[in-house]
Amino acid sequence: MQKQPTQFPDRAALVAHVKALSPGVSDDAVSETRGGRAAAEALLAAIDPTAYGHSRNYLDGAVTRLSPYVRHAIVSLNELRNQALELGYGKAIEKFIQELGWRDFWQRIYTQNPDWLWHDIEPYKTGFVASDYANTLPQDIATGETDSAAMNHFIHELKTSGYLHNHARMYLAAYIVHWRRVKWQAGARFFLGHLLDGDPASNNFSFQWVASTFANKPYFFNLENLQKFAGMRAPCDFHTNKCFGGSYDDLALKLFPKMAAP
Amino acid sequence: MSQLIWLHEDCLRATHRLFTEAASADAARPIFIWDDVYMTAMHYGLKRRVFIYESLCELPVDIYVGDTIDTLKDLHSRLGVDEIVTGKTPNPMLKAMMQNLRAEVKLSAIADAPFVQMDSPPDLRRFFKYWNKAKKNAFLYDGRP
Ligand SMILES: Cc1cc2nc3c(=O)[nH]c(=O)nc-3n(C[C@H](O)[C@H](O)[C@H](O)COP(=O)(O)OP(=O)(O)OC[C@H]3O[C@@H](n4cnc5c(N)ncnc54)[C@H](O)[C@@H]3O)c2cc1C
Repeated sequence: MQKQPTQFPDRAALVAHVKALSPGVSDDAVSETRGGRAAAEALLAAIDPTAYGHSRNYLDGAVTRLSPYVRHAIVSLNELRNQALELGYGKAIEKFIQELGWRDFWQRIYTQNPDWLWHDIEPYKTGFVASDYANTLPQDIATGETDSAAMNHFIHELKTSGYLHNHARMYLAAYIVHWRRVKWQAGARFFLGHLLDGDPASNNFSFQWVASTFANKPYFFNLENLQKFAGMRAPCDFHTNKCFGGSYDDLALKLFPKMAAP
Repeated sequence: MSQLIWLHEDCLRATHRLFTEAASADAARPIFIWDDVYMTAMHYGLKRRVFIYESLCELPVDIYVGDTIDTLKDLHSRLGVDEIVTGKTPNPMLKAMMQNLRAEVKLSAIADAPFVQMDSPPDLRRFFKYWNKAKKNAFLYDGRP
């Protein structure tokens, strides 16, 4: 049995080595995000839990980008929370610590009910049943060639960087499940294949939350919301994102016609 | 008692509790098993694999390529260790591997420091139910009074 090298002349050599160890992997993209504790510590030193509280929903908000490191326990939720406590106090950092709680929540469900990972926890609350949704991801989503410029932007970012802001994940997941009527499982598999932080629990249960199989109602959005929170980072004009136009009531009628009041 | 420290993808930190639990003087160098079949089952593409490999390069760990169970059993008998120590995980695939190993080998899975300590299990039906209980300690250092 041979020990594998842990020192390489440069990153390209490391990537070539990993490729050689991964004969079945066909995609070639490598993220600029570096693995390892040193990179994580640089991000940890830069967290701003106070700014996070009021800006986290915006794509250019003060989020940490620590998720790939948290995913593999390179940074623990405990030390992340302790670090936040050292930087601020009270209401200002509550939101930050509560968001950490989401990961803990999903991990606890995962531990208790691993068989929920790929199964609908509850029925859809969209007026449709599971069999109304397609099993596979449409090709234009896989390649980022949909009729929405914003979604194409997110798909490209997911595939190249392996990271998406939480709000972008919600938009793209909702687009896949509700606009394209594709099973959340197909979307979840697509995300897991690209996210550096891809986590069966956080990813699949969040998808179930968007789909409404683990929530009281489906999550969806309109163009106004997309423009407000993502407009500074993604192309969100009406002409290239027509399918999101209209009020929430208009969109609900279009997306969930069977839910309309009799 | 000699121990073999097995790092898997859910415990890639040198300050993980498993290291303090496994602090035996003659503990062998920690190992990680690069298991292509496992990573494929986890849907890992090149991006994730590079991220994991890079993370390993910063840890005191020997990387071996192979099937996780076979490699661990082989190392266990070749090194003549008494026990395998690893990190606790919710991942059913890793848990099944641990179960399989336990048929032949003593194995301890150590939990990392928790985010929040609770005296009884929380209600997990919705986040707000969990959070109502968790928030009592979540804003405290180390998640406990
Ligand atoms: C459809 C969908 C899929 C997702 N898939 C994943 C996934 O595979 N892996 C993953 O770690 N997260 C996932 N999330 C949750 C969340 O989007 C990411 O954790 C977050 O965007 C990571 O970016 P950050 O580190 O900058 O987060 P920050 O906002 O800076 O938060 C700090 C840390 O808290 C945790 N966290 C924050 N928000 C959440 C949340 N809502 N759920 C769970 N943990 C959270 C993460 O560990 C994160 O690193 C998903 C969300 C959605 C809607």
